[in-house]
Order: sequence, then structure tokens, then C-alpha cells
Amino acid sequence: MKMKRKKSNAEVPSMAMGDIAFNLLIFFVILARAQDDSHLQWQPAEAIEVESAGASKVSVLIDNENKYYVNGQQTGEANLAQRIEGLLGEAGAGERTVLLKVHREVPAMYFEPVIEAISEAGGDLVHIVEQDRS
Amino acid sequence: MAEPPSSATGDIAFNLIVFFLVCASVQPDSGRKQTIPRSDKTEEQETSDNIEVQLTRTSAMINGNVIRLSDFKPYLDRAFANKTRPEDRIVVVKSKTDTPYHHWIKVTELIEQAGGVITIQREEEQQVMLPAEG
Repeated sequence: MKMKRKKSNAEVPSMAMGDIAFNLLIFFVILARAQDDSHLQWQPAEAIEVESAGASKVSVLIDNENKYYVNGQQTGEANLAQRIEGLLGEAGAGERTVLLKVHREVPAMYFEPVIEAISEAGGDLVHIVEQDRS
Repeated sequence: MAEPPSSATGDIAFNLIVFFLVCASVQPDSGRKQTIPRSDKTEEQETSDNIEVQLTRTSAMINGNVIRLSDFKPYLDRAFANKTRPEDRIVVVKSKTDTPYHHWIKVTELIEQAGGVITIQREEEQQVMLPAEG
């Protein structure tokens, strides 16, 4: 005797499309946030002449607790140059920009080693500062 | 009354999120480029003729003389008057370990405006030898 197989309609309900898209978006936003440094606490110094920093592969940040971050990930002072060099790789001239974001009150004993490390790694240093309006 | 269909609420929310994400990500960083010679070359270039700028927490000195920031650029303009080659315009910046970043940025900007080439010399840790007892 032949049994008739019951066909089931397994479709994703179109009503849920918005929710799926929303959850995907949240997932990618969280993934992107691990790479950037927008969640870190720092206040820029001021300079009279500023220009657009442009695109860069590497961003080094020293926050208000004098901690170092390379592309949003905390790192130690000892391996800064090595990490920057690794991220810059074989990039040619004009593509070796390194953004340096330093909290305005950070003392020289913390930011000078970073400037040296960027220089050692052959990076083009750009200090991220605010326009001085005073 | 013409109400938007409730099934479209998810799509509206999704589009709003995308809009604000795009707005947040296009804010460009503003900054100041700084060329610092690689540290291995710096040592060779240093001579006793170089101008030395010493920075403390609140003050700045040129060759040991305290100079007000308003007089800084005119002083350097005079010092560089007959110097055309970049190697003659080297300014060695020595900062006390507690010099804040905003002060350092202000002074190095003035040096660059005057046409100086900045090199950094970090404060060396001094060893104090105590006389042996007995």
C-alpha cells in the first residue's frame, strides 16, 4: 500500500524579515566595534592649524588612564612598534598613515614612546587634535 | 485616519538605524601631520649646533632660557634666519616626564610653524650613586 507523504510548507515568514535584518545589523555593528576605538575615554588636545586626517590602517590611542590601544585593542608599550609595523606591512608611501589619539593630560613618559614607535615602524604620524577656537 | 501599517514598523526602524550609523561613521578626524626623523638617523644628525627646547609641565625653554609661548615663534624665526637646509633646522625637544600632551602639541606646533624639524630626545633615567658605607 502506498502512503501519501504529507508535504509541509517550510518557508520563512515574510513578517520576520525585518527582525532578521535588524539582528544581522546588530551583529555586524558589534563586530565592527571590536575594531574601533569610539568606546574609549579620551579628550583631544587643541591645535591652531588642523587638516583632515584622511584614511588610515592604524590608529593608536592613549586613554585617560594612560593605557595603550592599537586599533581598539589594548596593548603593552613593549610591543607597540612591532604591532604597528605588522599592521602597516608593505604599504607604500602615502598609505602608511598612523593616527595618534592621546588624551590631553597624558604625560610625556607615556606618549613619547608611542611617537618613537611610530617613527621606528616607518609610519606617517598624524596627531588627532581639535581646532583651537580660543 | 491613515495610519502606517504596523507590519512596516520593523522596516522603518531598520532604515532609521542605518541612517544614524552612516551619519556617525562619516565624521572625519581632524589632525596635524608631523614628520619625525627615524630614530636611527637622528643620532647621526645631532650636533651641538642644534636648538634645544626643554619642556616642563607649564613652561618652555630654548637653549636654557625660559621663553613665553607668544615669543616662541619670533625667537625661532630669528634663529633660523640664515639656515636653509633642513639639517640645520633641527630642534631637539626634551620633555620632562610629566609634560602634558596638550602643552607638547602647542610648543611643537610653534616649532613647525617656524620651519623647525623636530627630533625627540627622551629624558634619561639618572642613576644616583650613593657613597659606600664604612
